[in-house]
Amino acid sequence: MRAVIDSATMLRRRLTHIWRYPSLVLTFAGVPVVFLLLFVYVFGGTMGAGIGGDRAAYVGYLTPGIMVTTIAGAAQGTAISVATDMAEGIVARFKTMAIARVSVLTGHVLGAMVQTFIAIAMATLVAVLVGFRPSASGLGWLGVVGVLAMFTFAITWLSVALALVSKSVTTASNLPMPLLVLPFLGSGFVPTESMPAGLRWFAEHQPFTPVIETLRALLDGRPAGSGLVSAAVWSAVIALAGYLWARRLYNR
Amino acid sequence: MTSTIAPARETVRAADRVAAARRHVSMGETLAQTMTMAWRAVKKMRRNPEQFFDVVLQPILFTAMFAYVFGGAIAGDVESYLPLMIPGILAQTVLTTCMVTGTQLREDMEKGVFDRFKSLPIARIAPLAGPMVADLLRYATAATLTFAMGLLMGYRPGGGVAGVLAAILLAVFTGWSLAWIFTWVGTIAKSAQAVQGISMMILFPLTFLSNAFVPIGTLPGWLAAFVRVNPVSHLVTAARDLANGALVSGEVAWTLLACLIVIAVFAPLSVRSYKRHI
Repeated sequence: MRAVIDSATMLRRRLTHIWRYPSLVLTFAGVPVVFLLLFVYVFGGTMGAGIGGDRAAYVGYLTPGIMVTTIAGAAQGTAISVATDMAEGIVARFKTMAIARVSVLTGHVLGAMVQTFIAIAMATLVAVLVGFRPSASGLGWLGVVGVLAMFTFAITWLSVALALVSKSVTTASNLPMPLLVLPFLGSGFVPTESMPAGLRWFAEHQPFTPVIETLRALLDGRPAGSGLVSAAVWSAVIALAGYLWARRLYNR
Repeated sequence: MTSTIAPARETVRAADRVAAARRHVSMGETLAQTMTMAWRAVKKMRRNPEQFFDVVLQPILFTAMFAYVFGGAIAGDVESYLPLMIPGILAQTVLTTCMVTGTQLREDMEKGVFDRFKSLPIARIAPLAGPMVADLLRYATAATLTFAMGLLMGYRPGGGVAGVLAAILLAVFTGWSLAWIFTWVGTIAKSAQAVQGISMMILFPLTFLSNAFVPIGTLPGWLAAFVRVNPVSHLVTAARDLANGALVSGEVAWTLLACLIVIAVFAPLSVRSYKRHI
């Protein structure tokens, strides 16, 4: 119970930060929105033809990839805020206080999830403005939110661990960068079938692809199938690994 | 308190007197001093090899990523996409590389090294033009690596060696010309980060809202109209004509004209702004 109350307090601290510095959310929502506009208007014509449709069809194909790219981009923000707390010495103070040790990190994770969901909502709104028309049912949308929450939780714990392993804020901002590349090296922007054999194998077996494909199916009103199981397993593995790694580094 | 300030004031006055008493520097001396400053910049590059990271990594990463990830979806297969893409990557890489010129100039100005140059009996433009001459090495490296990467991936330019060399020379000259814009930004901006931010705001739309990666025909009408007048599109088309067919088209002339206009406008602006700020 103590851990829950302390985590709620730390979450409130993070939400206050988000409220006072909204530019951070805008920055991390900005990159995926730029990608969205770039790929819809510059590449959309050719990519749409590549998937057997047009620009409008490509918006539908692209949006799940943009949602996941937003999660990867927000991970950088989480790493920066955790590393900043570590560098400024506030965490050292928290460690001397009679609070649950895990609450500091949990507060960061939950706050980051709120921040990420705001960014995803903004990116999705822009997608709707440029022609995204999902055909998901109410239950489908619930599934979309669930998958996004599950994957955001996992990636956020990983980014917290990456922040704790960093020696400086600059390093912490650079370490989650490869996560931004993974949606490109998956099915986020183009079908994996159009890739050369070696890259295609990697794209089909990396964690971002089942998440993107599950979101795509749910938003399309189709059953998620085995992709949902893969997405859940990957999310659980990443979350557990990230949490255990972060806890070990924090308690060091 | 006043005794510590007075000598500092005297030093500043002395520096100003040296600068005022400086004799007229001939054209030959200006050239020699510019080359000395260029050599200084080259030595800095040699001692800080991380300055070459963007030059080396960007052509490799972008070429591989665009070809292997998007090539199949855009052109059907990687090989078919390379003749369209390599000249586009060439333009993008060289233009991104020239952005660093302004950032490094601003860093030098912040460190106060230009205050020392001001007190030397050298041409005012030498510390400004020197690094720009040295940067030609970076543009050439970036351009050569782009084509080398393309060749490794199966690109066979129809223009042969002459066409490829002409495309590289054109890209390098364009990069050097546009570097004057970023040099000017470097002299007026408040910090190195500001220079980088402003430069990205200029470059991102110019490189991506061009025909560098997709044919103009696939773009929506309003965007195609902008892409047609975008100077980067002229460079990309000119580089394609040269590399893929050794064809010296009208686009080459347009690109060179645009470069000369940029130099004519921004070189004097940079020098004037630089003189005012040091």
